[in-house]
Amino acid sequence: MIKSYIRIAWRNIKGSPLFSSINILGLTLSLAIATLLFLFIHHENSFNTSYAKKEQIYRVISEAKEYDEKLYPTAAAMVAPTSVIDIPEVLDAVRLYKHGFGKSAYISTGTSEFIESSLFYADSSLFNVFDLKLTQGLVDEALKKPNTAIISKNTARRYFGTDQVIGKALRVDNRTDIEITGVFEDLPSNVSLDGNIYISFATSFFAKRPTWSNISLETYLLTTKDVKQEVLKDKLVDMLHKNVEEESRWYTLDLQPLNEVHLYSSHLESGVSSRKGSIEQVKSLTWLALLILVIACINYMNLTTARSQKRAKEVGISKTLGASTKNLIARFYAETGLITAISIILGLVLAFIFLPMFNQLSGKEIPNSMLTSAVFILSIIGVWLVSTLLAGSYPAIYMSSLSAKKILNGGKVGSFWATNIRKGLVVIQFIASTVLIVGVFVIYNQLKFIQDKDLGFDKEQVVAISISGIRQANTVDLLTQKLEALPMVSEVGAAQGYPGKSVSGRTVSNPLNTNASLAVQTNRVGAKALEVVGLNFIAGKNLPMVKAEGDSLIEVVVNKKITEFLGFTPEEAIGKNIQMLPSDNAYIVGVVDDFHYASLREPIGAYAFHNYPSERKEFLLIKMNVSDLSQSITQLDETYKSTVPNVPFDYSFLDENIEKLYIEEKQTATIGMIFSILAVFVACLGLFGLAAFTAEQRDKEISIRKVLGASVSGIVKLLSIDFVKLVAIALIIAFPLAYYIMNNWLQDFAFRINISWHPFVFTAICALAIALLTVSIQAIKAALSNPIKSLKTE
Amino acid sequence: MTNTLLSLNEATRTVNSGSNKVTLLDNIDLQVKEGEFISLMGPSGSGKSTLLNCIGMLDSFTGGGYTFLGEPVHSMKERNRSKLYKEYIGFVFQAYHLIDELNVWENIETPLLYKNVKSSERKALVADMLDRFSIVGKKDLFPQQLSGGQQQLVGIARALIGRPKLILADEPTGNLNSKQSTEIMELFSQLNKEGVTIIQATHSEKNASYGSRIINLLDGKVVS
Repeated sequence: MIKSYIRIAWRNIKGSPLFSSINILGLTLSLAIATLLFLFIHHENSFNTSYAKKEQIYRVISEAKEYDEKLYPTAAAMVAPTSVIDIPEVLDAVRLYKHGFGKSAYISTGTSEFIESSLFYADSSLFNVFDLKLTQGLVDEALKKPNTAIISKNTARRYFGTDQVIGKALRVDNRTDIEITGVFEDLPSNVSLDGNIYISFATSFFAKRPTWSNISLETYLLTTKDVKQEVLKDKLVDMLHKNVEEESRWYTLDLQPLNEVHLYSSHLESGVSSRKGSIEQVKSLTWLALLILVIACINYMNLTTARSQKRAKEVGISKTLGASTKNLIARFYAETGLITAISIILGLVLAFIFLPMFNQLSGKEIPNSMLTSAVFILSIIGVWLVSTLLAGSYPAIYMSSLSAKKILNGGKVGSFWATNIRKGLVVIQFIASTVLIVGVFVIYNQLKFIQDKDLGFDKEQVVAISISGIRQANTVDLLTQKLEALPMVSEVGAAQGYPGKSVSGRTVSNPLNTNASLAVQTNRVGAKALEVVGLNFIAGKNLPMVKAEGDSLIEVVVNKKITEFLGFTPEEAIGKNIQMLPSDNAYIVGVVDDFHYASLREPIGAYAFHNYPSERKEFLLIKMNVSDLSQSITQLDETYKSTVPNVPFDYSFLDENIEKLYIEEKQTATIGMIFSILAVFVACLGLFGLAAFTAEQRDKEISIRKVLGASVSGIVKLLSIDFVKLVAIALIIAFPLAYYIMNNWLQDFAFRINISWHPFVFTAICALAIALLTVSIQAIKAALSNPIKSLKTE
Repeated sequence: MTNTLLSLNEATRTVNSGSNKVTLLDNIDLQVKEGEFISLMGPSGSGKSTLLNCIGMLDSFTGGGYTFLGEPVHSMKERNRSKLYKEYIGFVFQAYHLIDELNVWENIETPLLYKNVKSSERKALVADMLDRFSIVGKKDLFPQQLSGGQQQLVGIARALIGRPKLILADEPTGNLNSKQSTEIMELFSQLNKEGVTIIQATHSEKNASYGSRIINLLDGKVVS
């Protein structure tokens, strides 16, 4: 019986190639998209689940609520060792420090140089907590002695061309010599641990002077089984209180279970892992995937029932031959199952082909092997079952309930309800598509707003060159001079950091009110750097260009936020002492207008530039006077190499760095945009089906009208007007929905657009135009057909 | 000795058309004995097809009694009714109503699928039928590839495959030329001699003459 069902289904597919290919195309596209999205979601959800002791691992969070109201996913160096000793539930702890507070490291192997962006210092307990395995070297010895390191297989090959690297030497930042004592298997793409090299923690300066005050180390605790997070947290806080005096206790401690580290960390300051997930992104893409699947299923229902007139005869005959309703339902499900199976296979092939492109778009590294993982295959079978059940439901139930007598006597199928259900489905489909289009439009507008917004400084044509690998001050001076001499360079200034990159966090206190303090970002700069980024001075002047030897006066340029906090007008603030740096000798010389040094998601905070030598100047900021930056980079590179041959050239563009702040939105928008276009396309296939069905339903009416003298255009209008109504209904329902959803999304940004009428008008025109185009193809065909033919069959 | 196959007792069929009640069949009394060959005659709209559909249980009477092989069809549940007609009734249509997607072999086989006949038995039965109608050579062709007469042959073969007691034929030759018509009617006559009860609806006096009894319908009433 099943064989016969499949045989009929297959011949039906072959028998109407246009409909079948439209149907399969729609399903295939949707399922390919859904597959990619599910892969993405599965990959994100699988983060950090491969560890044997994953239930027992917590990350320590430092809450600096009173200080700057921020939560840091890092902890002080004393937290890990003290908690292992003081708290019996803590079995082990590992600290991870990312080189140079997150900067790239310069690695020299003696023969070649590399820029390493993923170098960490780690305790040897790394092996115990995270089941890290060595392919070479001994776990018992690794990461114990100072100046030793373990390296990933891939990185070893990159550096040395071989993974036989035990005993080889590395030089980090032209300063520290490291011996490789172990090689580890490359870390999977779905763990937060993403180091290429781990140097023993004993090598880092945190090991020499561990403190309770500097919270820069990602700290993971391995606990006993079944310990309550709350209990553990209280013990941690007790430990902190026992060890740190109240006046110097500027933060408190909390815990985050390992399974929340990847997706639930957006409320925290950025952690050290370059692999960041966001539950928001996962959620919105899950919705997108479901929406697309629903659109595809509705599409299938529409296209299948659109052919009901033809199929009805078959149903009628089968009924007279003794088929029960159950038989017929089974038959239609068999057919749906076959078509969805074909579509899923094609969809998987498409997904496989487009996975690299999707990875690039989403910035993830989803391996091909995930396509064959058991969980994924099971979920694909699940998707197949669900889509078969969903897509097949309406055709199966509707078609099998048709009356044999009516069909065989030449009656038209399609009751009031059947027609209205189909119309309702199209409306739902168009609502979904409209929400998608409006959503993508708003995201695009917000991103454009961000891009075009005057950030209060000049981000165009500015190149930042890293100079943290250069140890001699005079080399930096020489390099600066040489760069300034280049014709395409207009100005060069040195700075600790630049807008879009985090700098040092301090507090400024108000002399009038000793209790009040304000968190401030401080950036040690040369005067020229301020000119390079083109800040807008509203009072006073820049830092002095040259500082005389022995001049202990410290000059500070603050933004307006700081003068407001201090209770001065910008003009009044000039010349005032400022309590911010570890020196009493700091005075405000200039005030700049507020500028967006961080993401537009956050409101502007206090920011100050100073010339106190507390931090190193790590970058040269170069203002170019040509627009083609990629061309001139080669020349900068040559100049750099001729001056500093032993440290690799590491540069970035200021505007690109700013854009990186919005990478997640960009990814979601791009993925959303592409998939929305496809979803709309699929929705149009459904509309096409409905139009074909209506034309089929009304062919007698059309014929009679034609015989009575109706014109082709009149008939096209007659057939199209109904669809315009459907689309209009969909738009009316979709617009408030889209407005609500997108308004919610925009709340994440401190600086945001107001949703204007543009996206709605654009979407309305698009939807109507596409709908009309799709429908009129069918309508014209029906209007042009020979009326005698359809009248004769009656 | 002959048994009564079915009997209608004041069988009535009405439909609601708007607020009007239209009577399609009006108090029909009819006894059909096994082995009869009945021709229903009457002008278009006289109720021939409705009567056939109701007898074939595709439709039901709205009043009166209908007994088939001694069982009261009018008070039967849908499930039992479908079992009954699956077992005992075969249909032949004016427009043949073969399934376009199935070839000759498969079309004939279909009723057996719904009766859950085993695969090997199905093969034997279909092969017999093809043989008997001399259409073995056409078994792999699809309906569109056959002439009208051949399609109707397949239709009859399909109606017979389940060994029904009763064949209901609604203008079986309506779409055929006279030569094909004669062949089909000869076949019916032959089948009737083999014991199959046949009720046909027809416009043609000539076709009606093949039957053993003629029932004239007019406006839903039997006029004889």
